[in-house]
Amino acid sequence: MSTILKIFVFPAAMVIICLGVLTILGGHITPGGGFQGGAMIAAALIFCLIIYGLKDSPFHLSHDFLAAVESVGALIFVLLGIAGLAFSGFYLYNLGVDIYHIIPATIQNLFDYPDPTHAGIIPYLNFAVGLKVMVGLTAVVIAFMGFKEYEEESEKSKDFEESGESEELDEGEVE
Amino acid sequence: MIIYIGPLVLGLILGFILGTRIRDVPESGLKFDASVYILFIIVAFIVAYALGPFPYYKDTPFASGFVAAAVGVILGKLIFGRSSTPQKMED
Repeated sequence: MSTILKIFVFPAAMVIICLGVLTILGGHITPGGGFQGGAMIAAALIFCLIIYGLKDSPFHLSHDFLAAVESVGALIFVLLGIAGLAFSGFYLYNLGVDIYHIIPATIQNLFDYPDPTHAGIIPYLNFAVGLKVMVGLTAVVIAFMGFKEYEEESEKSKDFEESGESEELDEGEVE
Repeated sequence: MIIYIGPLVLGLILGFILGTRIRDVPESGLKFDASVYILFIIVAFIVAYALGPFPYYKDTPFASGFVAAAVGVILGKLIFGRSSTPQKMED
C-alpha cells in the first residue's frame, strides 16, 4: 500500500472508532445502536488490517483478546436478561436503573441516561451487542486474511518442494 | 451544569479496551509517535464540537461520549499499549 495511506489510516481509524462508540452510546434515542456502532468500529479495525496487513497492523487483536471480548459481550447480555427474569418474571424486562427502589440515588444518577426516555437497561444492551459485533466482524476478516496467508505459504512450500524434486531428478539423469 | 457520568464511563471503557490493543511494530518500518496522538486529540475535539451535544445530552457544548472514547483510546495506549514486543496475531 502507498505511504500516504499508511500515514493517514491509523489516525483516521481512531476517529472512526470514536464515532462508532458515540453511535453505540446514542443507540436508544438516535439512529444507530450496538450493531451499527460495533460495525463502525470493526470497519476501522478492518481498514487498518487491509492497509498494514495482518502482522504489521497497529491494532494487535490476538485470539485471546477476541475470544474474551466476545464472551464478555455475550455474558453482559445474558446477565441483563436474567436480571429482568429474576425481578419481573420476563426475560430481558427493562428494569430501569432503580430495581425495587433499593438503589441509592447517587448510583442511579451514575447509570441513568440523561435523556427524556430514561432508557434503563437498553444502553447497556447496546454496549454488549457493540462489543460482540465489533469483535465478530473483525474476527471474520482476520480469519480470511489468515487463510489467504496460509494458502500462499503452502503454495510457496509446494513449489519449493517440486523444484527440489526436479533438481534431484535432473542430477540423477546426468549421473 | 450537570455532567452525566453514564455515557462518559461507557465511552471511556470502550475506548480504553481498544486503546490497549495499540502497539508499535518496529518490523513494519512505521513509527506512530506522540505527534500522531496529539493530532488525534485535536481532531477529536474539533469533530466533537462539530457534532454538538449528540445525542441529546445537553450537558456540554460538544459530544461528550466522543471525547470520552478518544481519552479512553489514549489512556489505554499509554497504560497497556507500550510494549514493543507484541503478541503475534497467529496465537
